[in-house]
Amino acid sequence: MFFFSIFAGIFGSIVGLGGGIVVIPVLTILFGVDIHFAIGASIVAIIGTSSGAASTYVRDKITNLRVGMFLELASASGAIVGAGIAAYTNSAALELVFGGILLISLVPMVMKIGEDVPKSPELKGLSKRLGLKGSYTETNGSQIDYNATRPVEGLAGTAVAGVLSGLLGIGGGAFKVLSMDIAMKLPLKVSTTTSNFMIGVTAAASAGIYFTRGDVDPLIVAPVALGILIGAAIGARVLLRSRNVTVRKVFTGVLAVAAVEMILRALGVPL
Amino acid sequence: MNLRDPASMNVVIGKVLRYGVLLSGLIIILGTVGLAFANGSSDTSGLLTYNPGSIPHDSIDTSPSGLLHGIITFAPFSWIELGVLVLIATPVSRVVVSVFLFASEQDRLYVLITAVVLALLLFSMLVTPSIPGFNT
Repeated sequence: MFFFSIFAGIFGSIVGLGGGIVVIPVLTILFGVDIHFAIGASIVAIIGTSSGAASTYVRDKITNLRVGMFLELASASGAIVGAGIAAYTNSAALELVFGGILLISLVPMVMKIGEDVPKSPELKGLSKRLGLKGSYTETNGSQIDYNATRPVEGLAGTAVAGVLSGLLGIGGGAFKVLSMDIAMKLPLKVSTTTSNFMIGVTAAASAGIYFTRGDVDPLIVAPVALGILIGAAIGARVLLRSRNVTVRKVFTGVLAVAAVEMILRALGVPL
Repeated sequence: MNLRDPASMNVVIGKVLRYGVLLSGLIIILGTVGLAFANGSSDTSGLLTYNPGSIPHDSIDTSPSGLLHGIITFAPFSWIELGVLVLIATPVSRVVVSVFLFASEQDRLYVLITAVVLALLLFSMLVTPSIPGFNT
């Protein structure tokens, strides 16, 4: 469990997803853990991946704090709406729909597969008022300056991510990265690390309920949390050295797995 | 330290996250070690080969008073739960600190944005669990 969690932490911190995509199936299928405890553990895993890796990303200024805070408006409200309507919705149908959306979003991702840093749009309108721009330094010393565009579309996509995580407890990270990448045209490393920064807050919002319900089992969570924290520390170092092109390939692969997982879950496979 | 320098904002938030994670990790390690000794051996393999039937889940008291009692009496499970709580509190503290950092930069727009995020977060953590129909 500990070693799988290290693996989950490494992957999760690089692609900006929580690692729940690895943790939940490993716990339920390999270790026979009840799905409720698996979800409880994955919430803790998400917070661990996020905080563990973000401490490095934020310090090295690759995470865009303003973009993160601005989009958290949408993810946090979306999560509350999602939790509120969860009782009235058919989660299998939703998973099928969102799994389908993730599959479709593979198309633009595959088309952009060779892209390193997008041509930066002009900073204007709302993006300018919000100061949604930034710059970071690659390990080879080159400085990347970028501006964000279409903040409203980004906000809308992130709201979907929030609703999804409130409803299903999973899948938020993928939609956050896609919003920043496709709508806001940020460099992918900025998108994945900013998503990584945000998912901790989204997960913390719903952690209270799982905790008081007793779904956070110490025997499962101890090895998972420790493994995730070690994995996130390793993953953060790997990402800083990776090229955007490489991160994009890994993200696209993980996105495909996430889409298939969500569709399988909709069809009744206990992932 | 000059808080008006945007770079120091990254440093402070980075530190909040790092210390939160380290503290949480240490407490969980402490609880895990305690668990191994409580079982009468230093064999921690039980933690690697989880056996769902072997754990009395109902005996874990996650109410504030039960948790506090467990922490004071050095119950390993309670210490692990405490570590998890510290981990959950880490991103929350990050948002709290951000409000003050933006305030010290006199960036009113972002003070507002971050304060709203904090309000939404606290609402979701503390209020929604007690609303019937939520999170079912």
